[in-house]
Amino acid sequence: MHGIVHVVDDDTSFRTAIERRLRKAGYQVLTYPSAQQLLDRLPGGNEPGCILLDVWIPGLSGPELQERLGQLGSTLPIVFLTGHADIQTTVKTIKAGAEDFLTKPVSSEHLLNAVERALSHHEVVLSRRHQMDTARSQIAKLTPRERQVFDLIVRGKINKQIAHELGTTERTVKAHRQQVMEKARVQSLAELVSIAERLGLLADDRG
Amino acid sequence: MTRLIRAGELIVFLAAMLAPACSPAQELRPRSILVLDQSDLRGPFYYEVFSGLRGVVTTDTREHTTLYAENLDLSRFEGPAYEEGLQRYLKEKYRDRQIGVIVTVGAAALELVLRRRAELWPGIPIVFALVDELDHARLKLPPDVTGGIVKLALADAIAAARAVVPDLTTIVFVGDSWDRQVVFRNWHDEISTAANGLNVVEIVGLTMAETRKKVAELPEGSVIIYSAMYSDGEGTFYPPATALALIAQEANRPIVVGAETFLAPGGIGGFVLVPDSIGADAARLALRILDGEAPANIAPAMGGVKPIFNWGQMQRWQVSESSLPAGSEIRFREPGLWEKYRWQSLTAFSILLLQTGLIAILLYERKRRHDAEIESRHRMSELAHVNRSATAGELSSSIAHELNQPLGAILTNTETAELILSGPSPDLGEVREILADIRRDDLRANEVIRRLRSFMKRTTFETRDIDLNQLVREAFEFLSMQASDRNVSLYLRTSPEVLRVKGDPVQLQQVMINLIVNSMDAMAAIPYGRTVIGRTETNGGKSAVISIADSGPGIPEDKLDEVFDPFFTTKEQGMGIGLSIARTIILAHEGRIWVENDAEGGAEFHVSLPLSAA
Repeated sequence: MHGIVHVVDDDTSFRTAIERRLRKAGYQVLTYPSAQQLLDRLPGGNEPGCILLDVWIPGLSGPELQERLGQLGSTLPIVFLTGHADIQTTVKTIKAGAEDFLTKPVSSEHLLNAVERALSHHEVVLSRRHQMDTARSQIAKLTPRERQVFDLIVRGKINKQIAHELGTTERTVKAHRQQVMEKARVQSLAELVSIAERLGLLADDRG
Repeated sequence: MTRLIRAGELIVFLAAMLAPACSPAQELRPRSILVLDQSDLRGPFYYEVFSGLRGVVTTDTREHTTLYAENLDLSRFEGPAYEEGLQRYLKEKYRDRQIGVIVTVGAAALELVLRRRAELWPGIPIVFALVDELDHARLKLPPDVTGGIVKLALADAIAAARAVVPDLTTIVFVGDSWDRQVVFRNWHDEISTAANGLNVVEIVGLTMAETRKKVAELPEGSVIIYSAMYSDGEGTFYPPATALALIAQEANRPIVVGAETFLAPGGIGGFVLVPDSIGADAARLALRILDGEAPANIAPAMGGVKPIFNWGQMQRWQVSESSLPAGSEIRFREPGLWEKYRWQSLTAFSILLLQTGLIAILLYERKRRHDAEIESRHRMSELAHVNRSATAGELSSSIAHELNQPLGAILTNTETAELILSGPSPDLGEVREILADIRRDDLRANEVIRRLRSFMKRTTFETRDIDLNQLVREAFEFLSMQASDRNVSLYLRTSPEVLRVKGDPVQLQQVMINLIVNSMDAMAAIPYGRTVIGRTETNGGKSAVISIADSGPGIPEDKLDEVFDPFFTTKEQGMGIGLSIARTIILAHEGRIWVENDAEGGAEFHVSLPLSAA
C-alpha cells in the first residue's frame, strides 16, 4: 500500500536510516527534526499517511505534539518510537489514540507492519470520511420540504403520519420520498437511516 | 689609718711582752709557727709541702695562728760559714717574735735547727717533716722533737717498675750523684738488697746533655728510676721536676719517680712523696702542740707516701690499671668525652632522646594520619561510587535512550542493506553509504558505553591533569537527554582560556553531574522556563571557578549552610548525599564549594579548584 510517512526524530542518523528503509518499502517519506516543524507544515489529510514520532525530542515532545494534532483535528495515525519505553508514557499516548508504540531498536518487520496498519487504518478513516462527505453533500441538495420529509422518514414515520404532520397529502409525501431516495442515491429505507445515523442527524431527539 | 696600725702593733707587742709573765707554766704557747724549709721554694715539691701546711693552719678557724717561713736553700748552699750567717740573720730577724713551734721541712733543715736551737729558740718544740726513716734513726732526736717520717724504699720503686714493665730485667737510676741526694739517698744503700736479680745501670752524676743522650738508648725490659737532679752539671741549677721534664723528652723507657710533683713532667708514677699531705701532717702536729699537747707525747708517724700513677704515661707504655699496686691513684686521667662534658652530654643526650621520641611520635602520628587519609579517601571513593550508581540509576532512561538511538539506526540500516543486496541489481553505492552510517552509529554507541563505564568505574582516588572545560562540557552532554526529558534547557559557557587542574576526573565529573541534577531537581515544581546555566572562568590565574545556576526557587537563606551536610535533602526520594559528596570530593581536591541565591531567585553553586602550575 502506498502512503506518506512523516518521520519526526531529532536524531539525524536514525531519521535517515528510517527514511531509507521506508522508501525501500515503497512509501513516500517526509522527515522533520522537530515537532514544531511538522506543525509548521501540517500535512493535508486527503491521502493515506501516518506519523512516526520519537517520544523524546527537544522542544515540543512527542506526546505534546500528539495532543496538539488532536486539537487541530488531524486524523493521521501516530506510531510512537522511543529509545526507552516507560509505562506511564506508553499508557498516556495509547489512551490519547496512538496507533502503536514501538521501542528502538525496531526490526523492519515490526516497523513496516505498524506503518502498514496505520496507513490502512487511515485509509479506512479517509474512505469513511469520503462517504460521509458525499452523503452530506447529497443531503444538502434536498429542498427544505424534502429535508422535512427525510427527517421524518428516518425516524420511522409512515407516509400517512408525515402527510398529517406536514399538512399535505399522502401522495405528495410519496413523491417527495421518491425525490429524497434519488438524491441520496439509496435504494432502501435502511440505507437512508444509516446515512442519517452516520451524519448524526438522529441525535437530536434521542436524549 | 696609720695611727690605727701603730696602735695595733703596740697591742701585739705588749701582749707578746706580757704573755710569759701571765703564764709562767709555759704550757700556753704563743700561736705562731716558724717554718724552716731546706729548699729555695722554686720547685713545685717544696711549694706543695708549704701550701699543704699553710692550708691546714689558715683553715683552723678556732684561733689565729701566725705563720713565718724561711727558705734555707740548703741544697745549694752549705758549710759552717753559711750556717753562721743564717743563724745571725735569723736571730736578728726573730729577736722580737715569739715562736710557738718550729716546723722543719727536710732532714737537712732539721739537723740545722737541732744544732742551732739552743742559740736561737731554746726550748721551742720542733715538728719535722720530710725526714726519711734512716735519717730519723740516725739523728736520735730529743723528746720535744716529733714529726712525720717518710719511707721511700727502693723496693717500692722496683715494685712500681715491675708493675709498669712486667718482664723487667734492668733498672736504670737517673739523677744527681748519690751524695747530693736529699731525699733519695737511701736508695743507693738499698740497691744490693732490693735490686736482686736485676741489671742495674746508673746514669748518675752526669751532665744533663750526657744524661739525655743515654736515656734515649735504653734496652727493652728496662725502667728508669729517677731520684732527683738539681743541675745540668755545667752551672745551671733547676728544680728536679724541671730536670725530669728535660730527661723525659728523650727517654725511651718509662720513668718511675718518687715524688708526686714528678708525675706531671713525665714520670709514669710509683710510690711517691705527696708534698701536700706531708705539709698538712706537719701543720696538724704543730697545731696540736700549740693547743697544749706535750711534744714528747706525740710519737713520730710514718706517712706522706702513696702509689700514684700518671694516666698519660700509662697509656703511652700500655700499662693497664689492674696491674698497678693495690690502692694506686691515677692522675691526669684523660677524661673521656663523657667525663669531660658530662652535663653537656647528658643535656644533649636528653634533648636528642626527647627529639627522637618526638620524631617517633610525629612519624607515628603522620603514619596514622596518612592511613586515616587513605581510609577516608577509600570510604569517600566507595560512597562516591554508591552515589554514582544511584545517579546512573536515575539516569538510566536517558542512558537507554542515548544508547538505543544509534542501535536503532544500526538495525534499520542493516536490514535496509540486506534488502538492497537481496535485490537483482544492488545499488552498491547506497550500501556503502549505509555501512558508513552503521560504522558511525556503532562508534556513537560505544562512546556512550565508554562514558557510562568511566562514570561507573569503582576507582581509587587518582590524580591526573584535567582540562576542566572539557570535563564540564562532557557532564552537560551526559545530561542533555535527561534535561530534554525533564524540559530543562542546559546552557554552558566555558572560559576562552584552557583551565588545567589536577584531580580525579571521574570524581570531578560526578561533582558536576550532582550539581546539574540537583539544579534540575530543584526546578521540578516550576511550570516552565527551567534553565541550568553553567559557566567556567579563572579567578586571577590562581584558581578556576565553575558556576551552575538554575532558575528554580533558590534556597531559603537559613538553609544555605546546610545544603552540603550529609542527609540534608528537600526531595522525597533523595538520599541527601549528592551535595555532601560533591563537597567531600572538592575538599579532597583542595578546592571550595559554596552556594548563593541569584538576584533573580535561582540558586547558584560555585566550585573553585586550584589551577595546576603548568
